Amino acid sequence: MSAIDSISLGIMWNRLIAITDETLNTLVRTSFSANVRESYDLSCMLFDADARLIAQGTYSVPSFTGTAPETIAAMLERFPPDSLRPGDAIATNDPWIGTGHLYDINIVRPIFRDDEIIAYSMSITHLPDIGGLGFTASARQIYEEGLRIPICKIFEAGDANELLLDIIKNNVRVADQTLGDLHANIACNEVAARLLVEFMDEYGLTSLSSIADSIIGYSERALRNAIAEIEDGQHSHSIQIEGQDEPLTLAVTLDIRDDSIHADFSGCSPEVNIGINVPLSYAKAFVVYTIKCLLTPNIPNNLGSVRPITVSSPKRSILNAQDPSPTGGRHIVGHFVTPLVMGALAKVVPDLVQADSGMLSLVNVQGQSPSGRGISSIFFSSGGFGALDGLDGADTVPSPSNMTGTSIEVWEDMTGISILSKALRPDSGGSGRNRGGLGQEIVFRNDTNSELTISCLAGRTEFPALGYAGGQPGALRKCLINGLEVHSKGRYFLAVGDVLTLLEPGGGGFGPPKERARSTIERDVRMGFATREGILQDYGLDILDEPPDLESRFVQL
Amino acid sequence: MYRLGVDIGGTFTDFVLLEHATGVATLHKQLTTPDDPSEAVIEGIDYLLKETGVDISAVSSVVHGTTLVTNALIERRGSPTGMLVTKGMRDVLDIAKERRYDLFDLRLRFPEPVVPRYCRREINERVCSDGKVAAPLDRDEVRAAIDELIVKEKIEALAVCFLNSYANTDHERQVEELIQSEYPKLKVSCSATVFPYIREYERWTTAVMNAYVQPTVDRYIRRIEERLTTAGFHGKIHIMTSSGGMVTTEISRRFPIRLLESGPAAGSLMAAQVGRELGEKRVLSFDMGGTTAKGVLVRDGKPLKKYELEVARVHEFKAGSGLPAKAPAVDMIEIGAGGGSIASLDDRGLIGVGPTSAGAFPGPACYGRGGQQPTLTDANLILGYLSADSFLGGKMPLNFMEAKQAMEDVICTPLGLDHLRAAWGVHETINEDVARAFRVHASERAFDYRRSSMVGFGGSGPIHAARIARKLNVPTLIVPPGAGVMSAFGLLVSPFSFETAISRRVAMESLDKRSYDEIFTPLVEQVKAVLASAGVDRGAIQIHKTVDVRYSGQGYEVEVPASESLDTLAETFRSAYQELFSSVLLDEQLEIVNWKVEGSGPPPLSAAKIRLLAPNHEAGDIVVGRRGAYVPEQEAMVDVPVYDRYQLTPGFEFSGPAIVEEHESTLIVGDGDLVRVDERLNLIVTVKLGGTA
Repeated sequence: MSAIDSISLGIMWNRLIAITDETLNTLVRTSFSANVRESYDLSCMLFDADARLIAQGTYSVPSFTGTAPETIAAMLERFPPDSLRPGDAIATNDPWIGTGHLYDINIVRPIFRDDEIIAYSMSITHLPDIGGLGFTASARQIYEEGLRIPICKIFEAGDANELLLDIIKNNVRVADQTLGDLHANIACNEVAARLLVEFMDEYGLTSLSSIADSIIGYSERALRNAIAEIEDGQHSHSIQIEGQDEPLTLAVTLDIRDDSIHADFSGCSPEVNIGINVPLSYAKAFVVYTIKCLLTPNIPNNLGSVRPITVSSPKRSILNAQDPSPTGGRHIVGHFVTPLVMGALAKVVPDLVQADSGMLSLVNVQGQSPSGRGISSIFFSSGGFGALDGLDGADTVPSPSNMTGTSIEVWEDMTGISILSKALRPDSGGSGRNRGGLGQEIVFRNDTNSELTISCLAGRTEFPALGYAGGQPGALRKCLINGLEVHSKGRYFLAVGDVLTLLEPGGGGFGPPKERARSTIERDVRMGFATREGILQDYGLDILDEPPDLESRFVQL
Repeated sequence: MYRLGVDIGGTFTDFVLLEHATGVATLHKQLTTPDDPSEAVIEGIDYLLKETGVDISAVSSVVHGTTLVTNALIERRGSPTGMLVTKGMRDVLDIAKERRYDLFDLRLRFPEPVVPRYCRREINERVCSDGKVAAPLDRDEVRAAIDELIVKEKIEALAVCFLNSYANTDHERQVEELIQSEYPKLKVSCSATVFPYIREYERWTTAVMNAYVQPTVDRYIRRIEERLTTAGFHGKIHIMTSSGGMVTTEISRRFPIRLLESGPAAGSLMAAQVGRELGEKRVLSFDMGGTTAKGVLVRDGKPLKKYELEVARVHEFKAGSGLPAKAPAVDMIEIGAGGGSIASLDDRGLIGVGPTSAGAFPGPACYGRGGQQPTLTDANLILGYLSADSFLGGKMPLNFMEAKQAMEDVICTPLGLDHLRAAWGVHETINEDVARAFRVHASERAFDYRRSSMVGFGGSGPIHAARIARKLNVPTLIVPPGAGVMSAFGLLVSPFSFETAISRRVAMESLDKRSYDEIFTPLVEQVKAVLASAGVDRGAIQIHKTVDVRYSGQGYEVEVPASESLDTLAETFRSAYQELFSSVLLDEQLEIVNWKVEGSGPPPLSAAKIRLLAPNHEAGDIVVGRRGAYVPEQEAMVDVPVYDRYQLTPGFEFSGPAIVEEHESTLIVGDGDLVRVDERLNLIVTVKLGGTA
């Protein structure tokens, strides 16, 4: 590519990303659910006329952008491009076509210019409800998890599919929010179409194909070059995670050859009969995401980041669950693909990998606020981020997905459920030259006037976030009701006055603890991030909590 | 009498001396002194007074825009500060937003709270989300905590941050009164007084930052006061806030967090004035200086407002890597794109410009002060848009060879480009960055920029404005006289103003007229008291009330004027919502979420009255020369005329490509653009539309 082209490419590429950012903003502003507007459980993406992913909105969820290329391919097989008309919108929430569970709606609109499809815009959001038991991992069959919408036209030539909308309306708990969010998805893709046509007019483009070729080619080459630089070889890794009763095994073999990587999931536990099974496309999304984070974090995401990576797995394994296994809480297992792949890559690029993170916890709450309003909402909270070589893990940061935490005041105002405390857990980060991020403790009390149904959706209650290169594991997660520990994937009822406590886990450490600088340890004690006892135990040092150097605290670290 | 406007920017400090009776203005611009900004302030005032022969005792007031607060937060140069916080909530500042602002960068960093954890004490009190008290405040517990923080941590300021205080401020107020009577030396900031909005992390972060800079601001104001007094100044000092109003030094000392965007806000206010006088309904205010570019949307003569800023970004200037500050502010998009922005190649091997700036020192390579990296100013010099001899009216010669060398080392050689192509790449990248930022900003606010006019100003703004307008399909560009120092002008036309708000969720259905008025009354009283204390006649205070309304269940509100009648309020909301989202009307209940009151005094002077005193200019040639400048449509350097702006008279017309020079800035007129000089000496550029690719 000639150099003047690279100037135009940079400009047009950034513009396409800006279009997806605007699409995403429209979605957030018109949404009716806290999942979307507070926690950003969503994605917005742009595809060229050949359905190749070329840009995604900055705050998109990584797994969604990984599954989307397969979703759109299946949709266009059902509705071939030459059968589509302006004003059409295709939808599905099928776990094996979409994002792995029923709660996410995938909506695609073809973008027309002069009677010709020039692109597709796609948005995905986690709906506030889709019927069934509600968002939970407790279902034994997918039929208990709610409505399954096949690939269909939710809008046809500008007219809503009223029958479909009525069926949804009659089957969900908070119909206003759910239908409101469906409309928000339709509207945001309309905005994408308008902006894209404007962009093409401005640059006099009749097709996106050549710019898509360049963007995808650039990104693919960058990732292939980065893969080619690491040593060829096969690396297997396996981890254990919590299941319903028995632990589950996740296993991967990475085959790094020349400029591509193949991941095989042979050796994983089989499917289980609760809703934590993972369709393969969702597992693949986290393989791609993890490799990209380590090798090309600064290249914007598109199809080029997916192409050098392939995935295989025996059928009916926990990471390649088949219809009709329940998949409601598939993220509880699927998120562990990141530490799994990271563990295999640690054998090749030991200085790039991140120690395990404490990860996200989701509590879905259904009930009624004191004002009589229906509640069907998720409380998102985070454990500690894993440490990296030279960098302590950040406290309470989500991984590998990126849902935003919920504000205490917004939560109390919206639900009437009080939060009595939300505090860091000192000593919870795994020790190491760089320590893991701290987890937190959150105490809720049901101060509404009625019983609440809660579903916990999290792991790390038996298997902690592991440290790397001699770093130590972080503290475990716990869920307690009235002081008694309960299963972290269970569905419970909270009577008025009942207290739910979440102990979020710490991240793993990096490097041997004995190499941690004494001044840094002293600072942790001074800050209260570690206790004197904890330091004695983890580092064998006795530190007074009053280091003499009071000035250092106001220096930016 | 005279008034003086002083605006400190990252690269330059600008001065305007205005004779009140005649409106005659004299300008000055000099490099900022980053280590002690007051140095350049005093020096520049001295220079300008000498130049004009005005005695300092004839100056009635100095209006100041300052980056002091921003810098104190970025450099963590505030004072030891404590925090009192509701039991169970001490760690909210560390837990923060629980969100990664970059999906793929695992090495991202987060800002540290300005009050460390050991300087926070929990207090056993509790207010519920409906404002009811669940656990009362124990004053002895408060005293013990404060005593300990003073003795052990030597705090000079204290932030009081209680949960749900937006719904009931009583506990925070009690602590404030206790401190005022028993600890008079301690500076105090209560979260709901600083800004009373829901969301504890943002509100408390704002309050602790406010407390943290209170002693610094107090000392800075005293220093300026002393130095000016020593020089013979007897007038008043006023300071510009982020929302574009003037406040007294007393209010600045109480709410320093409101000074974050002190200078830039003034520029947008001036742009709004210019737009109003020309009868423009929609204006895009575009300001580009040495360090950043600022964009503000002006609707019906008023800049749009917002209530959250982000300061002290710690990771590659990325959005989300800073601390949120809730304060009324002009809704400004600020991007790291200015004359000093450094150009480099990114990971893709593509040209990226900014956000790092070469600042005042070492400055762009062409300043010849040791800068080795190519900047936007270097590119503009290479492209012929700037001239080595006429920069700042010839007061600051530029070095062409240094600019070319830096461009070759960093851009040309690795990409195999000649220096002209490279410089154009740098220039056009900035144009596209700014246009993109505007586009996103405008569409988030449903503002149709294609039907607006742009006002372009700032030291670097007029070089880029016409091209950016073309990209945005903005048909008209207005470049006022003295465009290079327009923010300093803005300081002098801004009225006193003060704004306050509360967050209270009320279903519109359950609201009657009496309770509606009752919520507003104390807000109005507070605003009037503040303005009256600044010397504004109570009768001259204009009050503007607004509410944020949404469909019950949504998370985002639409701001609408708070009409006297509740029925018209619902109507106003519905039509505003439809216009914004062009969505079907929903059958949902409405609720009011935030209540805001803004009061302002009369403007001190109309912008229309200002007459620029041309610097030592005799009548002369309109075209002072010709020089080679890059014309993108022809992909070549073309010999273009250079106009002397001080010689242009009303009614004069010419077409681009052309260059118009005044001391503080240079206007580049694109191929096919038409320029007309209006009665007020504004340059009105009719932009040739139809694509820039």
